[in-house]
Amino acid sequence: MAEGTWKDYREKKHSKPLPLRGIRVLEVCTLLLGPSGPGALARMGAEVIKCEMPPLGDTLRSLVPFGYWFREQSTSFIRPNPNKYWLGLDLHKAEGQELFRELAAKVDIIEENQRPGVMEGWNVGYRQIKEINPSIIYISKTGFGQWGQYARENRPSNDGAAQAMSGYAWMSRFPGQRPLKSRLYICDSYGALMGEVAVLAALHYRKRTGKGQFIELSQSESIMRAMSWIWPYLHITGRPAMPAGNGDVSICPAGTFRCSDDTFLALAAPSPEEFRGLCIAMDRPELAEDPRFKDHLTRLQEENAAGILGIIADWVRTKTPAEVEALAEKHGFAASHLYNIKDVVEDKHFRERGFVTEVDDPVVGPFLDYEFPAMMSRTPPRVSWSIRPVGFDNEYVMTQYLGKGEDEIKKLYECGALGKWTDVLGRRPPSDWDGKAGLIMARD
Amino acid sequence: MTDMEGQDWVDWIRERDDPKIAPTRAEALDDITVLDLSYKSFAGCYCSSMLAEFGAEILRVEPPEGDFIRTCTPYGILHKGEGLNYLAEGRNKFHITLNLEKPKARELLKGLASQADVLVETYRPGVMDDWGVGYEELRKINPRLIFASITAYGQFGPMSLSRMPDYDNIIQARSGAQYDTGEMMPENKSYDDCPWAIPTKAGPWIGWINAGTFMAVGILAALHWREMTGEGQALDVASAEAYASLEDWASIWYQGAGVINERFGNLNTAGWLYCFAPTKDGAVFLGALRLEMWQAFADMVGKWDEWDAANWRDLAPFSEEEEQLKWAPLVFAETRKYTNEELVAMSVKYAKNGRLAPITPVVAPVCSPEEAVHEANWLDRGIFVPITDPVYGELIVAQAQHKMTETPIRTKWVCRPVGYDNEHIYLKYMGLGPRKLKELKEAGII
Repeated sequence: MAEGTWKDYREKKHSKPLPLRGIRVLEVCTLLLGPSGPGALARMGAEVIKCEMPPLGDTLRSLVPFGYWFREQSTSFIRPNPNKYWLGLDLHKAEGQELFRELAAKVDIIEENQRPGVMEGWNVGYRQIKEINPSIIYISKTGFGQWGQYARENRPSNDGAAQAMSGYAWMSRFPGQRPLKSRLYICDSYGALMGEVAVLAALHYRKRTGKGQFIELSQSESIMRAMSWIWPYLHITGRPAMPAGNGDVSICPAGTFRCSDDTFLALAAPSPEEFRGLCIAMDRPELAEDPRFKDHLTRLQEENAAGILGIIADWVRTKTPAEVEALAEKHGFAASHLYNIKDVVEDKHFRERGFVTEVDDPVVGPFLDYEFPAMMSRTPPRVSWSIRPVGFDNEYVMTQYLGKGEDEIKKLYECGALGKWTDVLGRRPPSDWDGKAGLIMARD
Repeated sequence: MTDMEGQDWVDWIRERDDPKIAPTRAEALDDITVLDLSYKSFAGCYCSSMLAEFGAEILRVEPPEGDFIRTCTPYGILHKGEGLNYLAEGRNKFHITLNLEKPKARELLKGLASQADVLVETYRPGVMDDWGVGYEELRKINPRLIFASITAYGQFGPMSLSRMPDYDNIIQARSGAQYDTGEMMPENKSYDDCPWAIPTKAGPWIGWINAGTFMAVGILAALHWREMTGEGQALDVASAEAYASLEDWASIWYQGAGVINERFGNLNTAGWLYCFAPTKDGAVFLGALRLEMWQAFADMVGKWDEWDAANWRDLAPFSEEEEQLKWAPLVFAETRKYTNEELVAMSVKYAKNGRLAPITPVVAPVCSPEEAVHEANWLDRGIFVPITDPVYGELIVAQAQHKMTETPIRTKWVCRPVGYDNEHIYLKYMGLGPRKLKELKEAGII
């Protein structure tokens, strides 16, 4: 193992450079599909200026689980929005649009998730921005893309709509039961990630040629891309693709099984050596030679798969999760109890790797976040600071990026181009905020 | 919206990013060479696919008998000898063989690695080092190399040397995402009565695919760093971490309030209105995360007065557990009166002439994959355009998910059998002609 390479990774990550140092991003995004893309770039060191409409800003600031606010902030808002600079900018106002254009001339990337045509209506669409910054990389992320019937109908979308329309939810359920919505906002989070593949590929191309470009991303199309065998299967067999509950029609054995303590455990052992290991662990070595189970393609046939999965289910029912996990480790197959959120947050391995990481934020206070999961030996991505109220960094952004003086900034507030938070839960700072902590540049 | 010449934005952009014109455009990564040594891992295959779609030259290295992942195919079905999952992710890659158990093969790998920009591998930590082709070795011959490892537990940490392999269903289990997805147990019922009311994983291989996509993003960021500094580096994705990282609020809730999030069926713990709702002929997704959208929904189904929607002042109270459980049946009673198509049409119409127009609730039909693959909107957008592959014939794989004006992605071919490109690639990169290749093959090296 590359011990030297990863030695003290967690302890030393803050004293190493960030991979996207020097890249500037302007974000006009709300909810999750929009902000978590630039959120990923910010974790890798890009300077992200998040523009929100004052005084309420991002809709996500309102969303919390069963009414629970984390230190008076939205629980849902924290993870997609680390390391950003917070600008309260009203794009309905001509002066706000002009400010945006001044910023746009100085950034590398613009990310937005308004409905098609809205940015152009604000005079900050791709066609308008490329006139002042021809090398801009401009990504628009929506449910259905910029063109086609659904875009033309101006349909709004959410993560759940993409789970529904792609067939993803339909394939995620027990046979005979209703399609299930993932409790993750998977089409938002995954769609956003897919968007960053294109943004960073475009950045590479720009480095070679100087050319920027426009990227459109649809969250439904992104999740369809992730549905592997389903599309060729429909085409080749002419049969409908069917859901398989906690089973996996492409891997055998693989499944979720009920343990002796009525908790659940996932297990997989498809390769020859893994399957042999499992059979030995079950004290049934002869099963590895059984003609029904002799190789993977044979085991995958429906009847054979049902046979071996039934045998495993009966065996696991007599074991605790810890017993099966220990046998899996010993015999080289895979098993894990189903982690709940406590297990994830407290997992020793996740902690020692620094995946679950402590953030000591001047505004939000100390909390545990997840680090960007592609760890990088020379340039470790990380969270340094957290969310801020609407317009919190206005003065810094105006001074640092645009060189505006105090009088100019004052005028921008007066005409309403700039604004700050209002006294609403999820918008204002925590009540114990001292009026200074976290500010890069104080107003007056 | 129209520009100076009066052309509508939609027409203007479609002229420039319709996947139909992709083959005429440049490729973003066609200066990059990637060695993909993935084994038993769809995450690795998917990662290199992300780069292959943008034109990177992928040398897909398999053992002479082929990657086990090729046998991971629904019900054991093969198409012209190929598994259907692998068929979807062999795109644009050159397939070569190399038996890394043999020292001579490792020398060949070093020769390839010294010419590559990126190496993707998925062996258990330590395996590549034992073969003498780990990051510490390869960086000596190619300091610019980006060495990308995707594994179950990652390259370091107390579990990193675990013998347990990396499979999608294990990722979904260890990330926490399966635990709190699924149907709630009906009152006074047990697992024996309702074996489906349990933690439920996603059907697609999202755990693997997500890990591969995070690595693709990491690789591209590392490329940017390399262009600035000339330095390569090692990258480490632990697949369960990658999937766990998509979680937004449950960990914060647990830290702040000690609450462990549990299954909430097709409702949404962190916000109303956001659910699947039954209809006359199936189900729809309903989304209205702003008060006006929820009011628009009430209005759209004719309940504006009865529900007193005009006097709602705040969406937040509706998100409370008891309120959701109270309101959901009322909403479902309305949606059951209509078909999916009717409800979608109502929401599109409401956006035009409803009381709160253009505000309208999100209404989306829950579709089967067959419905999706035949849907005119997606066909028009080029996602399911059949590809005629020289080896595998006409196929449909999802593609063209990125529409881009300068460097759109494309699918040039779908897949290749094991070792299909040995001749071309070993000649191109290592100067090995047919006679030498034959020797290597006979010696069991390729």
